[in-house]
Amino acid sequence: MRALIVDDSAVMRKVIERALSQAGLELTEVLQASNGEEGLQALRQSASAPVSLIMSDINMPVMDGLQFVETLRKENLAVGVPVVMITTENNETFVLRAIAAGAQSYICKPFTAEQVKARVLPLLRVA
Amino acid sequence: MHSEAVTRLDSAVSEVFETMLERSCNPMEGEVDTVEGRIVARIQFTGAVDGECLLYASPATASVTAEALLGTPSEPCDPMVADAVGELCNMIAGGWKSKLASHESSCLISVPAVTREGLEGYQPRFGTKFSRNYSFQGNVFGVVLAF
Repeated sequence: MRALIVDDSAVMRKVIERALSQAGLELTEVLQASNGEEGLQALRQSASAPVSLIMSDINMPVMDGLQFVETLRKENLAVGVPVVMITTENNETFVLRAIAAGAQSYICKPFTAEQVKARVLPLLRVA
Repeated sequence: MHSEAVTRLDSAVSEVFETMLERSCNPMEGEVDTVEGRIVARIQFTGAVDGECLLYASPATASVTAEALLGTPSEPCDPMVADAVGELCNMIAGGWKSKLASHESSCLISVPAVTREGLEGYQPRFGTKFSRNYSFQGNVFGVVLAF
């Protein structure tokens, strides 16, 4: 499966990729973006080979994760693809906005690979 | 208020290290040298609490931290090492903020800004400031909170 990871930290993108592999996902390709705008570009350019999962930070420069998810929905990009927000922002306002914007789940940093597995695998079974 | 802030910080640091790096990390007494060349990450808070959180570490300590996060070794000069310090500061600052009372926790945190210029000459702009040093597996780093 192909996944898109959106986070302004290259280290965190690697950590998330590693956690997804440890969760048992067979990742054939991982697209990476350092902000929401790059994430949208990556999805537009990969329309012929769509991703099956999107993991996104919230707090990023240029375009934050909430705007990213809201734009996904407006542009009908990645329809039906589960979106999981991974972020240090755990206050209720951000959680509710992320869900309202179209994210399916939410993981707080710091996280374990087991937590990623528990949140992501059920979404992939449903998708 | 000061001791509560310290307790929250110790808890946030411990959570990050035990969860993400799978290592224990404990507060330590004594000063951490703030000479030039230390990698310094800064996160700013705005909103219900205005302030900043800085994390500083030697390139060698930062390299060990990056290796713990990534599972692969990194040279101290690797940009991923500075990124790792920034992300550590991000998670610690976020964890500290999440432990504030609900009316205080509704503040925004910035993306981390990271430099390799040390902390010499650092002057916080806020009324309350405290520093705390931590050690994991013999590696030492410092955190400054000012608000």
